[in-house]
Amino acid sequence: MDIIESQLNAVTVLALSGRLDGLASPTLEQKVNALAAAGTNKIVFDCGQLTYASSAGLRVFLASAKKLKGAGGKAAFANLTPAVREVFELSGFIGIFDVQPTAAEAAAAIG
Amino acid sequence: MAAFIDEFCGAFAPADKDLMALHLALEEVVTNVINHGYVDGQPHTFTVELAAEARRVTAIVTDDAPAYDPLARAEVDVSQPIEERAIGGLGVHLVKKLMDSARYERRDGRNILTLVRTLGGAA
Repeated sequence: MDIIESQLNAVTVLALSGRLDGLASPTLEQKVNALAAAGTNKIVFDCGQLTYASSAGLRVFLASAKKLKGAGGKAAFANLTPAVREVFELSGFIGIFDVQPTAAEAAAAIG
Repeated sequence: MAAFIDEFCGAFAPADKDLMALHLALEEVVTNVINHGYVDGQPHTFTVELAAEARRVTAIVTDDAPAYDPLARAEVDVSQPIEERAIGGLGVHLVKKLMDSARYERRDGRNILTLVRTLGGAA
């Protein structure tokens, strides 16, 4: 999995690509923890190039959302691929997370 | 293991949705065995068998960890809000949702988990 970080107004966008599996999840977790430690509390996860997410990835998303919320911010998700949308639906994440069609809309929703 | 699943499925080219379900379910099961079953520091072996019939794939995961039925885990309440959602338990939940049937047996000192997915179905 690759992570590309960018900034959209006051929101950090993490564009994820590849497979978010048990091997890749710690990388994303460390990235989010480092951002949070530096004061970031609004993150959009752009999943447009994410082809696969297992429960290990979902756990990082959930832990990130809790952490950002605890810091007075929020997480949002954009561009879900069919594979990622399916695990979001099966896990109920689709109902508890802010999911938007594009990164720009997701950033606007939490910005 | 991902390469093994792709190679096995290459012969009958299942839909992306079916292929993803097999990858995900087997990653969840094997990860659980390794992380929670093999904790005594000793060498262990597990096997993953795949069998394809006309419209379904059966996967059998056999491991020599202590007896543990992953299917007996309490159901995840998917309607809970972010603050109350537990971080764990999602893997087994996904396995149950993605497979049409899942059966656990303990036989000859081994855990045997048999998963079946109907291809091209609504699941």
